[in-house]
Amino acid sequence: MASSMRGLSVFISDIRNCQNKELERLRVDKELGHIRTRFKHEKGLTPYEKKKYVWKMLYIYMLGYDVDFGHMEAVSLISAPKYPEKQVGYIVTSCLLNENHDFLRMVVNTVRNDIVGRNETFQCLALTMVGNIGGREFAESLAPDVQKLLISSSCRPLVRKKAALCLLRLFRKNPDVVNVDGWSDRMAQLLDERDLGVLTSSMSLLVALVSNNGDAYWNCVSKCVKILERLARNIDIPQEYTYYGIPSPWLQVKTMRALQYFPTIEDPNTRRSLFEVLQRILMGTDVVKNVNKNNASHAVLFEALALVMHLDAEKEMMSQCVALLGKFISVREPNIRYLGLENMTRMLMVTDVQDIIKRHQAQIITSLKDPDISIRRRSLDLLYGMCDITNAKDIVEELLQYLSTAEFAMREELALKAAILAEKFAPDLSWYVDVILQLIDKAGDFVSDDIWYRVVQFVTNNEDLQPYAAAKARVYLDKPALHETMVKVGAYLLGEYGHLLVRRPGCSPKELFAVINEKLPTVSPPTVAILLSSYAKMLLHTQPAEPELQEQIWAIFKKYESYVDCEIQQRAVEYFALSQKGAALMDVLAEMPKFPERQSALLRKAEDIEADTAEQSAIKLRSQQQTSNALVVTDQIPVNGSPPVGQLKLVKIPSQNMETSSFEQRRTETYGAVNKVDPESSPSVDLLGDLLEPLAIEGPPSVLTATEKGQGLEANPNSPGALVLASFSDQPNTVQPTINIAERFSALCLKDSGVLYEDPNIQIGIKAEWKTFHGRLVLFLGNKNVSPLISVQALILPPRHLKMELSLVPDTIPPRAQVQCPLDVVNIQASRDVPVLDFGYKFGTSMVNVKLRLPTTLNKFLQPMTVTAEEFFPYWKSIPGPPLKLQEVVRGVKPLSLPEMANLFGSLHLGISQGLDLNPNNLVASTTFYSDNSRALLCLVRVETDPSDRTQLRLTVASGDPILTLELKELLKEHMISIPSITPTAPQGPMPTPLQLDPPGALSIADDPGALLAALL
Amino acid sequence: MIRAVIVMNTQGKPRLVRFYEFQPPERQKELIRSIYGVLSSRADNVSNFFKTDVIFGEDTRLVYKHLATMYFVFVFDSSENELAMLDLIQVFVETLERCFKNVCELDLVFNFTKLHTILDEIVFAGQVVETSSSEIVKAVEEIARKSLSHSLQL
Repeated sequence: MASSMRGLSVFISDIRNCQNKELERLRVDKELGHIRTRFKHEKGLTPYEKKKYVWKMLYIYMLGYDVDFGHMEAVSLISAPKYPEKQVGYIVTSCLLNENHDFLRMVVNTVRNDIVGRNETFQCLALTMVGNIGGREFAESLAPDVQKLLISSSCRPLVRKKAALCLLRLFRKNPDVVNVDGWSDRMAQLLDERDLGVLTSSMSLLVALVSNNGDAYWNCVSKCVKILERLARNIDIPQEYTYYGIPSPWLQVKTMRALQYFPTIEDPNTRRSLFEVLQRILMGTDVVKNVNKNNASHAVLFEALALVMHLDAEKEMMSQCVALLGKFISVREPNIRYLGLENMTRMLMVTDVQDIIKRHQAQIITSLKDPDISIRRRSLDLLYGMCDITNAKDIVEELLQYLSTAEFAMREELALKAAILAEKFAPDLSWYVDVILQLIDKAGDFVSDDIWYRVVQFVTNNEDLQPYAAAKARVYLDKPALHETMVKVGAYLLGEYGHLLVRRPGCSPKELFAVINEKLPTVSPPTVAILLSSYAKMLLHTQPAEPELQEQIWAIFKKYESYVDCEIQQRAVEYFALSQKGAALMDVLAEMPKFPERQSALLRKAEDIEADTAEQSAIKLRSQQQTSNALVVTDQIPVNGSPPVGQLKLVKIPSQNMETSSFEQRRTETYGAVNKVDPESSPSVDLLGDLLEPLAIEGPPSVLTATEKGQGLEANPNSPGALVLASFSDQPNTVQPTINIAERFSALCLKDSGVLYEDPNIQIGIKAEWKTFHGRLVLFLGNKNVSPLISVQALILPPRHLKMELSLVPDTIPPRAQVQCPLDVVNIQASRDVPVLDFGYKFGTSMVNVKLRLPTTLNKFLQPMTVTAEEFFPYWKSIPGPPLKLQEVVRGVKPLSLPEMANLFGSLHLGISQGLDLNPNNLVASTTFYSDNSRALLCLVRVETDPSDRTQLRLTVASGDPILTLELKELLKEHMISIPSITPTAPQGPMPTPLQLDPPGALSIADDPGALLAALL
Repeated sequence: MIRAVIVMNTQGKPRLVRFYEFQPPERQKELIRSIYGVLSSRADNVSNFFKTDVIFGEDTRLVYKHLATMYFVFVFDSSENELAMLDLIQVFVETLERCFKNVCELDLVFNFTKLHTILDEIVFAGQVVETSSSEIVKAVEEIARKSLSHSLQL
């Protein structure tokens, strides 16, 4: 073969002699060029040459070069009459082409002829190629022929074993094409085969068929057990199928694998025979000197273990298995150790053996220090899987210890697993804090923000923990070369709770400040921001102020007042201003309140990861295990039995003044708190945003103002079902809103935060941020009372053009508390419809239910822009008229001066282009509209006013989308006409004004100074 | 199923590459490089197993044997038994030994066409087709005879 191809040998030598990659490439390019030329003039090519070139192509391909020609030549060799050429054609084709290659179609017939022909060697070649490629077309035209070969009695085993595997591959890749109906009997017959080569292949085929349709092959179970018996007892096994004295380990393994696809084995006799064989394998395998023999016998043994686990054997046999595995994980042979650990991890799935596995914990921990990283990983997996409350301390501490020496490749996984286990199974909270701080210290790069936020949450919610955590943080901050995450968490904890350490040495405010401030020059902007907050908190906690400290901190605030990062700049400016307010600082910067209970972002992530992996053991196991209750973030009663300080105290204070001010404080606290736990945003950033823009929640109102009719505010304790229909005037105990809802709504259409609704019991505030077609609203539900509001319900009824998602609204709002409910909005299309919030709660005996329009109006998805005359006019002219450009004369307009109107447009997110329209009585504005459905759309607006009659004007709106044009025009009209206090709008949004295009002559040109320009435009 | 069989030397030069699921050449190169990266960093007295989820995709693993200047690598998924794969590498090596007598890297370099023939008799479409090295040698010799007789006729 190769020796007879001198040209190929010379080429390979040349390649070997290339000194570097560049020379190799040159040589390869030269050869490819040569082959290409020779293929072009195919006529002079002998079959020998063709074969040689195709082999060269394969060699070049193996070296990693793309060979994008010559495929035709390779494929054409398949049709060659002689064996050597045919062989090259088949081999190279199956390496070079994928199953969808067009050229394959051309040889389907040749391949078929080879398969049905009498030449065995041709049959083998053809089967090999078809099996390797497995294409659909082959399956369609050849599967029946392959099936015939497999069951033909005249074929040699050499062909039949290949036919079995060829059929397997065709079936795997195209199960819809290959018809195996009624194959269970044939399969059973095949398992009677005496030739072990054919039997091995048939067993593989059975695995494929059973995994696809387990029910159909029951009749094969007993045959499989018989084969196992024959092998295990070494009956009638030819010498050549004995591998290092073991009867075909592959067939034993495959047979046991096939049995694992049957849910169970019902026939008692078969089951008994099988268990006898398994018992024999489990007991009869010893570690011997010969490595190959060892490998083979343990291949069988591990498969037997897997089968025992699958069959859910009696506990006795299971513990025997665990004992075996326990032996394996301490043997010298690394392969056996590896598989021992891996199988032990699998074994965790079996109930009731965890305790037996735990006995091997020490050995498993030793494996964590194995020289082989593969083994270390398996050991880590196993430790992770077997961890529970009883052994979490030991295991996590081992992981932490290992972290310092672990190689980079494993650290991330290690850190994540340690954090998850610490959180899940912490026996107590201070231990948890210790673990996470150590984790940050040792592998800060791999500790995500989620993890340190979580620590802050726990510390905040557990007063007992606060001095401990602060002291710990203090110790860490003394260390040199700290990870930045440690600076963050340290500064945060000391800012918040540093004052609790005041009597300890080295913990005076000045000293704490010094140790934190030391880090300031080296940290990144997000950390600087946290440090600034921390300083502000320190100022708060040193009342009366220490002049020296105050000077230092103020100097820093001053320094950052002009910092390039606007977040930091804002903090510096605002903290500075706040810190000069004295008592006001107390309120704004008070300690963070407790966090509401929520699922750990980390554990959620861990569940995601586990769900992704094929190895499902961890999940199953986790669901069985009881997690620790130590870490529940909630308003839990402290251990000492005294009630939580915050809320109840507030309630008890009788003085109205005091109450209001504490309420103020609570309010600001709540702001910081709830946003802070949002895992996606940095807590400090939100803290600031909320500190500075608190929404007013006033005390109980003294005057009740009348509500608009139709706002849907009703209460009827007796018939909640009829709430909406009941007229509230009939209800003596109706809870009435204390504000004008429609007015508030209109106001909110033009600004982004404010009160949406208020009644004696509750105030609903809203704050929104908009970015292109996304919006994020936060609803602030504030309970104004000293008793809880229960059965709180909030439902969003979104219009069709918006996608909205409201986060979970708690069922109960505690007294004097405020909860925040974020609401995400995505705009899909232009529409003036607005979503409705169906809100209800129960106070005392009265049910209150209101339907509130949310100010998610069209204009929120606009972004004002100013355009130049060069941009404006061509676009304006390019839009000829309806439906893209609409014009209407609007009458009954609120009389507004032009600057007032410009202001209104500004609030609606329209950008006024000054001086574009030469007529001083006209306004031209432009804006961009964003929606998920289309690209950003430019909208142009022109208003022509009549100075002699301010109650009418002509409005022209143009954009690239007819719906947008119409909706925008109507929206503008609404805002120009409507004066909410006089003409309240209907609850479901104003009735769409019918489209009325006034004829151009409606306004006489003589009266309209803009008409001349309009004609021009 | 067996996903790939790769024979390369300890410098990372491929000597035999067979993927049982088509991979474009660029990807083949990348896979071989990543596998070599892992293998070259492993000591001698460690296990022969490695999970290749990050290299080859979910649920894949690799068994290798380091002999003289060569790595013999089988990549496969969880439907195969690790040790059985290791045994199969041994069968492959023993067969090479029988075919080449004191097989060395040079034999593999210059007889890569024959390597393909031998491998096709052991692994077929990602499944073990024959485990008896004497049966494999018999089949390979039969093929060699056929090739030779045809060559002589030329």
